Amino acid sequence: MTRKQGKGAAWFAERVLPIGSVVLFVLVWEVYVRARGIAPIYLPAPSAIAVYLWRMILDGTMEYHLGVTLLRIFAGFAVAAVAGVALGVAMGMSRIVAAVADVWIAALYPLPKISLIPLLIIWLGTGEAYRIVISAVTAFFPIVISTYAGIRQADRGLVKAAQDLGANARQIQLKVVIPAAIPAIFAGLHLGMGVTIILIVAAEMIGGSSQSGMGYLLINAGQVMETEKVFASLVVLAVVGAIVIKLQQWTDRRVAPWAHRDDR
Amino acid sequence: MDVLVENVTQVWGGGSRAEVVALDHLSHRFRSGRFACLLGPSGCGKSTLAQIVGGLESATSGSVRIVDPAAPAVARPLGADSVMVWQTLNLFPWRSVIDNVAFGLEVRGVPPAERYARARTLIASVGLRGFEKHLPGQLSGGMRQRVALARALIMERPILLMDEPFAALDAQTKIVMQEELLRIFEATRKTILFVTHAIEEAILLGDEVVVMTARPGRIKEVIPVDLPRPRSLEMVSSPEFGALFDRVFHLIREEVTAAMRQQDQMAAAS
Repeated sequence: MTRKQGKGAAWFAERVLPIGSVVLFVLVWEVYVRARGIAPIYLPAPSAIAVYLWRMILDGTMEYHLGVTLLRIFAGFAVAAVAGVALGVAMGMSRIVAAVADVWIAALYPLPKISLIPLLIIWLGTGEAYRIVISAVTAFFPIVISTYAGIRQADRGLVKAAQDLGANARQIQLKVVIPAAIPAIFAGLHLGMGVTIILIVAAEMIGGSSQSGMGYLLINAGQVMETEKVFASLVVLAVVGAIVIKLQQWTDRRVAPWAHRDDR
Repeated sequence: MDVLVENVTQVWGGGSRAEVVALDHLSHRFRSGRFACLLGPSGCGKSTLAQIVGGLESATSGSVRIVDPAAPAVARPLGADSVMVWQTLNLFPWRSVIDNVAFGLEVRGVPPAERYARARTLIASVGLRGFEKHLPGQLSGGMRQRVALARALIMERPILLMDEPFAALDAQTKIVMQEELLRIFEATRKTILFVTHAIEEAILLGDEVVVMTARPGRIKEVIPVDLPRPRSLEMVSSPEFGALFDRVFHLIREEVTAAMRQQDQMAAAS
């Protein structure tokens, strides 16, 4: 009996409280804005934001800008993922590649990538290429660093076991070291996805000649003081960002179920 | 296959760090088809010796030779005749049971149909039929231990090196695995080097118990175990077993005390 109650309390704490806290926050916000009569230009009520969001969905603006931003995110992420994993693996397999790449990474990694935006605009203009490049360059570093670390830190015991079972150096790399690095590679891809989202939206805010994307929507609505639109865009960005991260975690579990077991 | 260990010394560290002599001019002949247990306090270098015999570590000095009694003149490369069962198992967590067991055949280029057929037979023989597609993380400790054993046995190498393979198992599972290993030994008569720190286990399994000293690892005494085979767990309560246990216990107690004193000194020094 007591155990059942204990389980019920845990279920309440884990499932109901998180959602409940969000609902409570929105309610307090709504009541506060209405009670104090705050102007929507400073802080619109959640209900007003919902109305604007619904209108933007109905006339298709939200779908269009969100779609454009998502395409850019995936393009930038794909470039960074392929290049980052490839270089990370190459560094893990060759000391010469590692030594050369290490100098460049040490020099370029601490540089805030946003500071490259003026240069990239000079070179590439403010079109798609500039946005993809700035996000890919930023996401590349965490991916390459995690991949390399994962390969270097492959379990020595597994390597020795493979060697004992007759695997040669190439087989050890392909069948042991790289698979063993997959959890670290995934960790790098998660970090990379996070910074890609940030950089694409930031790049859309600057030099918005293409007049599209969530970053453009945000900066444009802000400039004309349509605060409801700003909030509606933020809500969409937050929800979509969470969905993208969840999808990534789900893919990880499908591809590498062993990496998420606690009882290994 | 005899394993001829001659004057093997293993020194760790050196350079800027303090040198630790793990093995000190150790010599012994492990005879073909016999079950030898290496017994000693932790840190005495018994695992290191097993790895040197398996060609997985190279000794600082001295030599290990694998000698086929039928063709003693033929030089055999170290590691080619032996396979290790590890204390940490070292199963590949991303590979299913069957792909773990078949690994040795896979890297040798055995076609899938044949290697899976052989892996299936071995998996069944260690009592894991029906778990072929499971990942190691989905199995219990005892089952994982069986996978590790099958992965080694599929290599069909004459020497089996076992580095405290049952140390992490619970008492009941350990007993079952010991009986399993005895059955395998009766059936295959491999040369086995079994590293352990459990006196009872060493006597129950071994034809000889090689008692090692605390660091630096030397052989303190080799005690033949002439209990009849097939062995069974009931023998533990026989007077012969008791006499052997007392003898080994007195030898090992001095060494464990010495090892503890060393560890205290190292802790005090650092």
